Amino acid sequence: MRKNFVMMLGLAGLLAAVAPVWAHHAFAAEFDAQKPVKLKGTVAKVEFINPHSWIHMDVKEADGKVTRWMVEGGSPNALFRRGVTKDALPQGTEISVDGYQAKDGSNRANGRDITFADGRKLFVGGSNPDEQPNAK
Amino acid sequence: MSGRVIVLATLIAAGTAAAQTPQNQARPYTAPRTPDGQPDLQGIWTNVTITPLERPADLAGKAFFTPAEALQYEKDVVGRNNADRRDGGAQADLNRAYNDAWYDRGTKVVETLRTSLVIDPPDGRIPRKQQGAPGPTPGFGRPPEGPEDRSLPERCILWPTAGPPMMPSFYNNNYQIVQAPGYVVILVEMIHDARIIPIDARPHVNTGIRQWMGDPRGHWEGNTLVVETTNFNDKTRFQRAGANMHLVERFTRTAPDTLTYEFTVDDPSTFTRPWTAQIPMKRTEGPIIEYACNEGNYAMAGMLAGARADEKKAASK
Repeated sequence: MRKNFVMMLGLAGLLAAVAPVWAHHAFAAEFDAQKPVKLKGTVAKVEFINPHSWIHMDVKEADGKVTRWMVEGGSPNALFRRGVTKDALPQGTEISVDGYQAKDGSNRANGRDITFADGRKLFVGGSNPDEQPNAK
Repeated sequence: MSGRVIVLATLIAAGTAAAQTPQNQARPYTAPRTPDGQPDLQGIWTNVTITPLERPADLAGKAFFTPAEALQYEKDVVGRNNADRRDGGAQADLNRAYNDAWYDRGTKVVETLRTSLVIDPPDGRIPRKQQGAPGPTPGFGRPPEGPEDRSLPERCILWPTAGPPMMPSFYNNNYQIVQAPGYVVILVEMIHDARIIPIDARPHVNTGIRQWMGDPRGHWEGNTLVVETTNFNDKTRFQRAGANMHLVERFTRTAPDTLTYEFTVDDPSTFTRPWTAQIPMKRTEGPIIEYACNEGNYAMAGMLAGARADEKKAASK
């Protein structure tokens, strides 16, 4: 169940209603909707820290130069509670990130979609109404 | 699911909707006792639920779901909450960057099948004096010049639902209660607080002393822990209440794995009358996980850098 939850392929629930947006902070303050980025590279390290997790990745540019990017995720506590640890993203794992770059132009992005080389999505949430990991 | 069916069957057997409040249960559950003889509330509890605080307009006049309606409501809300979708344009897409792996906002309505957490007034709505949209949040009316211009949770000071009163939020809805002679302590996972509640008749601190989480005093009324909190500051503004908010919380073990939490909020400057909400908290697995918030708060620097970048962009136009 846990493994399925973590590795489950994305469900495209394309509903018209607007979900409430309230995370630890306003993404709009930090990232620029006009700067979508698609990054492909390997995991350098993962910081499962509060209030936000950060995935550091090395991205190889067309000219062969390697650039380090930081990709922001959510609070790690919910992941820990589901049994997801640092081992979920070992160093060297190939990932693709579809996100938005920081407003100040630095190499930071929020990870809108993070995908493994074989197309599986990382940490994709499900829509299974029977699942309530926190309750008994 | 089966748990809820059993609960529902019990309620039907009890005969009336009134049986769903802890005070009126036909055969009240009695909690085990601590070594010093108090009802034992200890353990790790979660208040995660998708039941809204206030009854939505389209459910006006309907205090309880039927089981079938509850299932449909859960399906609708879970679908609406699905952050994996990519519709709505770039800004919406950017804002939706946490999917439901990071989030943990529940998939179920409360087991009482109430349609709102507010149980009084009976219409399930907060009796606000001022209707309409709230004014601008402090600090959001201008680009942030420093951390003080960002919100309390962004500054790692206080999570708006950490309480008191404690409300369900989007993740980390976990609380640990520890009792010692003369004290009850509630450790709140989101975002780091421990409420230390004296259980004795000592008076509240001087009215000039104002605290983020107020000044709590507890006492026992039968099986119920009653906590009265005053001396809030004017910055937390729970549901727009002011510093003189008067809060009474009631904690009652109503089943082996249920801690029924009720709170009553009074602030005549903000509400036309006191109002009460009820959340059945459920026992959950531990541990409470540390939430060291300031140490890794890279996003604060990121947001301030974003504001400077916006200013530079505006100046160059």
